[in-house]
Amino acid sequence: MMKALIERLEQKFRISEVVRQRNDELFMTAAKEEAVSLVTYLKEYEGFTHLVLLTAVDWLEAGRFQLTYLLNNNAVKADAGIRVYLDRERPEMESIHHLWKQAATYQRELKEMFGIGFPGSPRVDEPFILEGWRDIPPYRRDFDTKKYSEKTYFPRPGRKTYDPEEYMKKQLYPEE
Amino acid sequence: MRLKDVLSPFLAWKHLFSPPVPVRKPLEREAAPRYRGFHQNDMEECIGCGTCEEICQNAAIDMVPVEGIGTRDGDSGLRPRIDYGRCCWCALCVDICTTGSLTMSNEYQWIDTDPDVFRFVPGAEAKPWDERKKGYRKPEHYELYNTERIPMEEVPPEARSKSFIEIVKGYSKAQALREADRCVECGICIATCPAHMGIPEYIKAVREDDMEQALRVLYETNPLPEVCGRICTHKCETVCSMQYKGDPISIRWLKRYIADQVPAERYEEILGADAVEQSNKKVAVIGAGPGGLSAAYYLARLGYRVNVFEERAEPGGMMRYGIPEYRLPYDQLDKDIGYIRSLGVKMTFNTRVGKDITLEQLHKDYDAVFAATGLHQGRSTRVDGADHPMVFQAIDILRDVTEGKKIEVAEKIVVIGGGNVAMDIARTLARLQNQKYGKVQLILTSLESEDIMPADLEEIVESREENVVIEPSWGPGSIKIEDGKIKGLNVIRCLSVFDEDGRFNPKFDQNETNFFEADQVIEAIGQGMDIEYMTKKFEDRLEMTPRNRVKVDIFGQSSLPWLFLGGDITGGTDAITAIADGHRAAKGIDKFLNK
Repeated sequence: MMKALIERLEQKFRISEVVRQRNDELFMTAAKEEAVSLVTYLKEYEGFTHLVLLTAVDWLEAGRFQLTYLLNNNAVKADAGIRVYLDRERPEMESIHHLWKQAATYQRELKEMFGIGFPGSPRVDEPFILEGWRDIPPYRRDFDTKKYSEKTYFPRPGRKTYDPEEYMKKQLYPEE
Repeated sequence: MRLKDVLSPFLAWKHLFSPPVPVRKPLEREAAPRYRGFHQNDMEECIGCGTCEEICQNAAIDMVPVEGIGTRDGDSGLRPRIDYGRCCWCALCVDICTTGSLTMSNEYQWIDTDPDVFRFVPGAEAKPWDERKKGYRKPEHYELYNTERIPMEEVPPEARSKSFIEIVKGYSKAQALREADRCVECGICIATCPAHMGIPEYIKAVREDDMEQALRVLYETNPLPEVCGRICTHKCETVCSMQYKGDPISIRWLKRYIADQVPAERYEEILGADAVEQSNKKVAVIGAGPGGLSAAYYLARLGYRVNVFEERAEPGGMMRYGIPEYRLPYDQLDKDIGYIRSLGVKMTFNTRVGKDITLEQLHKDYDAVFAATGLHQGRSTRVDGADHPMVFQAIDILRDVTEGKKIEVAEKIVVIGGGNVAMDIARTLARLQNQKYGKVQLILTSLESEDIMPADLEEIVESREENVVIEPSWGPGSIKIEDGKIKGLNVIRCLSVFDEDGRFNPKFDQNETNFFEADQVIEAIGQGMDIEYMTKKFEDRLEMTPRNRVKVDIFGQSSLPWLFLGGDITGGTDAITAIADGHRAAKGIDKFLNK
């Protein structure tokens, strides 16, 4: 089933990195310009009518974000994952809220946590869970969680820590 | 929609004016088996490496001393204290924990009116969930770091058994970077290294591919990195926190990698020798072994004029005249020594103090003296026949090999001893037998059983690869001689080497004997020192220990304030200890001369 689907998709779209680990699951990478067409085609013609999730990965070293659309075909009990790479400097993607209304919520979350824009997506620029956030988006890998936490939440009085190296020197060879 | 669904939210409003009801224990429901609840820490397993503190993104963990837990090799004595005002139960601390001591129970209820109790040391402060089996444990299928060391390539036994070619090939850049990447920089190893080298710091420099910084870190505590990168006894690796889930970091090979990367011509530029201000004070160093060379280097760095007196024709001591070339090639030794000499350290060779020049003379001509003359007198088993001309001391033959002298190599040889010197002579003679006879017939026999043989494990393994036969747990009985020729060695079963107090006190079973055929016997059971050059003249003023060693303080200073000692003669056992002694003595001499 999946094999035939791959052949059909390859005729119509530029897809790469096709991974089929299980018989009921298929992952592929789509060109950015074609991704929404591909998702639309899967929904309208191939029965992948359910949007399971939309999420992102920050490939900091490679300078790009990866979006993953996970779709489900309930009739044949199969999943299809579509990966799209975005330039990390100008992260923006076409919205799919016209296909699934709830996609707007995912896109709003991605805007807040990764800073990926989805122009035209309803309420995409409103805060999702971070009210009054002023820092860089916190799911970006260059966001220093520890530094933020040290700056934002001052330590309770009475805390003290010892460096193992220094402490061992003091205990075991103080004169040297 | 039913009417009830519309009205039910408003029903809650009936409690609006009721007094509040404090609930002491709101739920009697157990959490899921893998719930990330309150922490547990096995105090015995934890080594206080602080990696949990390091990874905590909420800065919720402090490392603190805990009563009843002492600091010792491989354990800082510190334990994590967690601030539940900050913890977000992400469990990164559990996942990264090097020993696996830190876990989480599935308990999630803890009620108290004092907010300060929520900052606690799991495992040290008894909690109801301490013994709870359910809760979050790091899953088996992944690790946050690579637990296996990058293997070191070696010349295979067939290719090395006839020559003295260096066996260990050294890491490539890609290999070194991957090995360095495994280090969690806890620093537990530093205390165990006799020289307290900045190990995490130089491994970090390897990871960042900054060889100049790496070399500077090495030279802060060790001026013989090519040597130690090859033959160090690497005690650091025995306490490495990576060993609990896999292999310890190859600290020694990473050190060698650094030294190998930087050509000798660049040392001066990187280490900045020209900044040293010359002082008028002069220090004599006796012995150009690791102790003497280390002292000379750090004294030269402090601006002293140093002259090293060496009995042999070339510097290096045991590093040149003891350790075989297949473990430490002479050119690498010369690279380290060459840099020390380039700092203006003078070396006077073929000069034995006590014979060619007296210690009093050195005392007269120099402001201070550092003696590190080592152990160069082989000890004899003194069994019957040990005075036969075909019975040799390992240390004498190793020296003759270095000096290129003709070596007596019989067809069948027995080596007595189980330490690294015994391995060195066995593997050297195996090579020479191979060259001369095309085969190896060499038995190495030791008092110790194999599990307590003092030699490094890799020496035992590699000896066998080179066809040395190892016969542990035998004590030498007598050397059988017929018609003036050695026939072999009679041995008796050794049951134990040390008594209950850990003292050397071997026990034998006289009824179980064996005989090893041989035409030549080598004794490698240890060496003694010859320090008559100092004890004879200064006997009455030189304070000795009950074990008849010269008494010294932590800087190696003897009861004669101008005389400092170090290395094997003050109880060291390896090059790195001697190097550390030399460094401390340099600091001690500097203190003494600047009083």
